[in-house]
Amino acid sequence: MFCPQCGANNADTAAVCVQCGRALQTGTPAAPLNVPGVVIPPDGTTVPNYLVFAILTTVFCCLPTGIPAIIYAAQVNGKLLAGDFAGAQAASNNAKIWCWVSFGIGLFGTLFWLLIFGTSMMRHLR
Amino acid sequence: MQRTFTKRTLAGLSIATVGLTLLRVFDPARSWIFPPCPVHYLTGWYCPGCGSLRAIHALLHGNLHEAWAMNPLTIVLLPFIAYGLVSETLVGLRGRGLPQPKLSSSAIYALGCIIVLFGVIRNLPMEPFSWFAPGAMLRF
Repeated sequence: MFCPQCGANNADTAAVCVQCGRALQTGTPAAPLNVPGVVIPPDGTTVPNYLVFAILTTVFCCLPTGIPAIIYAAQVNGKLLAGDFAGAQAASNNAKIWCWVSFGIGLFGTLFWLLIFGTSMMRHLR
Repeated sequence: MQRTFTKRTLAGLSIATVGLTLLRVFDPARSWIFPPCPVHYLTGWYCPGCGSLRAIHALLHGNLHEAWAMNPLTIVLLPFIAYGLVSETLVGLRGRGLPQPKLSSSAIYALGCIIVLFGVIRNLPMEPFSWFAPGAMLRF
């Protein structure tokens, strides 16, 4: 089954889309609710895993803080597959936070570098 | 909501354009405008991303050999990162991205392990691991 929202290919029995978290079994909303721990997200809700940004910040910004972002990205997909919508949302938020932390450290480091070496370079040229 | 998404998309596109232009014009190996890798600067060890800026600089000049030698992991991951970023941009522009592969959580964990492992082996002083240090494969 292809997700109507993001086009991801899902198993026919999937309750929510693994990519965006959209509820897929709209025809039979009551059935998955019988399974304990399964929460069907409100229609159209997305749970992004930020994997692309996690890898980007890991490879280009700052390794140590990019790794937790990748781990949380993995948890988002795992919990979505298990039907744990709230857990996936929490992991998604954590992935987002670690992506921004990595990006912030990378940006701060770059600005710091430009400040220190830029000014010394200017003084040298003058 | 749609407006903020579009704004964010445009901001991202402008940053990417400026970044790629700077990377094309200036060589990160010689120019001081690009900071060194903080991990390498502080510890002396190569991180998985060391050489990625030089790799993209080489790629923007059509030199795939040098790009691969600087950071093979970046070159392998780049098509996937580009696909994801294009999809993300489309989400911002028209609300719907490209079809995404279904990644299991173990696949993502494996990817994380590959990245960390790559960072470890390129620091090992013996061949063939040392080939993965930035620029080492240039002598082939």
